Amino acid sequence: MKKSSSSLVLLALALGLTFGARSALAAMTEGNPAFKSMTQLAFGPDGVLFVADAKAAAIIALATGDTSPAANGATIRVEGLNQKIAALLGTTVDQILIADLAVNPISRQAYLTVSRGRGPEAVPVLVRVKTSGQLEIVATDKVKFDRAQLPDAPVDGLVGQGNRQSNPRMESITDIAYADGRILVAGLANEEFSSTLRVIPYPFKSVAAGTMVEIFHGAHGKFETRAPVRTLVAYQVGKEANILAAYTCTPLVQFALSELKPGAKIQGKTIAEFGAGNRPLDMIVYQKDGKDYLLLANSNHGVIKVAAEQIGGAGSITAPVTRTQGLAFEKLDWTGVSQLDRFDSRHAMVMRTAGAGVMNLETLALP
Amino acid sequence: MGPAVRPLRRLPGGSGLTPGLLLVAGVCWAGLIRAAEAPAEFSVHWLAVATPVAVEVSGMSRRAVAALEHEERAAAGWGRLFAVYAEPVEPALGGELPPMAGTWRVADGRLRFEPRFPLEQGVRYRAEFRPAQLPGGEAGAAPVVAFFQLPAPSMVPTTSVARIWPSAAVLPENLLKFYVQFSAPMSRGDVYRHLHLRDAAGRAIELPFLELDEELWDPGLTRLTLLIDPGRIKRGVKPLVDFGPLFETGKTYSLTIDAACRDAAGRPLRADFRKEFRVGPADRTPPDPARWTVRAPAVGTRAALVVRFDEPMDHALASRMIAVAGPDGGALAGEVTLGEDESGWTFVPVRAWQPGAHRLIVPTTIEDLAGNNIGKTFDVDLFERVDRKFSTASVKIPFEVR
Repeated sequence: MKKSSSSLVLLALALGLTFGARSALAAMTEGNPAFKSMTQLAFGPDGVLFVADAKAAAIIALATGDTSPAANGATIRVEGLNQKIAALLGTTVDQILIADLAVNPISRQAYLTVSRGRGPEAVPVLVRVKTSGQLEIVATDKVKFDRAQLPDAPVDGLVGQGNRQSNPRMESITDIAYADGRILVAGLANEEFSSTLRVIPYPFKSVAAGTMVEIFHGAHGKFETRAPVRTLVAYQVGKEANILAAYTCTPLVQFALSELKPGAKIQGKTIAEFGAGNRPLDMIVYQKDGKDYLLLANSNHGVIKVAAEQIGGAGSITAPVTRTQGLAFEKLDWTGVSQLDRFDSRHAMVMRTAGAGVMNLETLALP
Repeated sequence: MGPAVRPLRRLPGGSGLTPGLLLVAGVCWAGLIRAAEAPAEFSVHWLAVATPVAVEVSGMSRRAVAALEHEERAAAGWGRLFAVYAEPVEPALGGELPPMAGTWRVADGRLRFEPRFPLEQGVRYRAEFRPAQLPGGEAGAAPVVAFFQLPAPSMVPTTSVARIWPSAAVLPENLLKFYVQFSAPMSRGDVYRHLHLRDAAGRAIELPFLELDEELWDPGLTRLTLLIDPGRIKRGVKPLVDFGPLFETGKTYSLTIDAACRDAAGRPLRADFRKEFRVGPADRTPPDPARWTVRAPAVGTRAALVVRFDEPMDHALASRMIAVAGPDGGALAGEVTLGEDESGWTFVPVRAWQPGAHRLIVPTTIEDLAGNNIGKTFDVDLFERVDRKFSTASVKIPFEVR
């Protein structure tokens, strides 16, 4: 323990001592998390759903209690998903914004964060889609939950100045992911240019605010960039847990989870360029016929599939790229996908346009 | 679980509704009520003046009411008996729409539904009671329907773009962001469509901004941050190589916000807003507080402390981050104003200046218009071996009040 103890080992030990045999669920409190907004979603263990509340600068762990395994072979198809959500919430389709989709890996029920309304008084709602396709509102006024408060204004000046009654600073959360007892929170502020990745150990109790790290990727060897991570996913490369992060326009960057230490400055490795004029939207990892694959949904380039076996030996892109470079990829004919998650071992779940502003929720066979 | 049953208020016309339309006007609402082809014993009526708005069924037999009171029904079961539907403007493509979420209860011989969410202006709501679903209900009994609609909101525009920062007419080629200040809260989710960056010939510049689904608003949705895609600014990265720089020195551009941009009430803006600016050379020099001038105010007055920067600074950060510490080291309360195209900063204290040593506290994370911080440029050249760390450090500029 002396020589090999990394801070993460110590952290793990601290968590172990704090919690002993008590599970994270038992440590939760019951009540109303009082969501101000609901944006990004990620499932953790035991049906725990992590919900980003960007407006409150918090990550809430919700015990959904949704832990009954799905019947094998169940799939979901909801036509006019946004119309049906609007109807359920008693409003019109143009007053519904769907922020994220996550499938409970145990029950295969889909969860969607929805904003009812578009203005400052909009009401956040968590909607569940059962495997029957039926929609329901997940009540959050009396739930078991835990909260990790993100530092609201980490670079704020001195307090007490008269002009600070309302701080216009906000931090958007571009994605969250759960990996190996940690929640990764990628964010971007609306004032200072500080794209950040926060690492919050889960259960939350010991380190409430988490650790902030800056990730750079050496763009073409010379200049560092700290552009915001748009979507990220945990992926095992050999024996090492890694994070794959996609940025706008569209580099894919790899870094080791073990490097996420307090205050660390991380140098990511750019392993692919998927083309310009594009925003990555969602990313999943899956296995087929004994091989790992990566699916990345994009704003402009559709959904692309990457054989993950390339990642282990991928070189770092260090020279200017004219079109695409690095990992070979294949474009799927999945059109109009704006949300993507893993459904089961053989299916992905997507939300995609069905024309004229209508969104469908579908399970599609993994390619 | 639900609130205590309140005495129910009846609408004018109450239960004696006849088929047809009845207009009910209130102080701030008006409703349309219709009972369609109702069997004589049942009626459905909207309680539009109740808070929250509710809808009730009356005319049920005592036996049916007693049975309902003791029946355990899931929401879906209640919904089959009595439900409210928000009618879509366009026909739904995905088949039957679900009813609106809410709660049901039986009180005073009536069945009452309270929608979970407030009713929206301009949306037509259909309440449908299906007597066949009552305990012992007669199969084939016709449903009873009543509509309700709050008047559509006024679409007369009242909101406008109040300001755009930076205010200067000449901006650096590697400008990092704009702030657009609206006069009232806006709607989010669709804003990038209504923003256009054009060159002098009016040609739209492709993908100039970093677009985020959530959009970068302040909590009140009155100020939008538009980040220029950093890929179009940073040296050596792909978008810059592919598309070239966003701006070219010496040329003129315009940023337009379309009137079609919607405010929080769904109304368009009063007019298009256009900011024209010329582009000057790229700024890769960090701001240097050693070159700022500070004009100390006179003791005993509430005169402004006036600071002149060595270059224009980011409006939001200079407004929020710079602070004044008094002789005891504590922060002073006061009003900050930025002027002179954000290259001047003034501070008027709440209380008169005390004599002694003061300091201007400037966090190094403050930015100029190109995102350069104190002590470091926006894009760090690795070969320059700049040590870049998270820093909460600040620069302190002393000044004496006498």
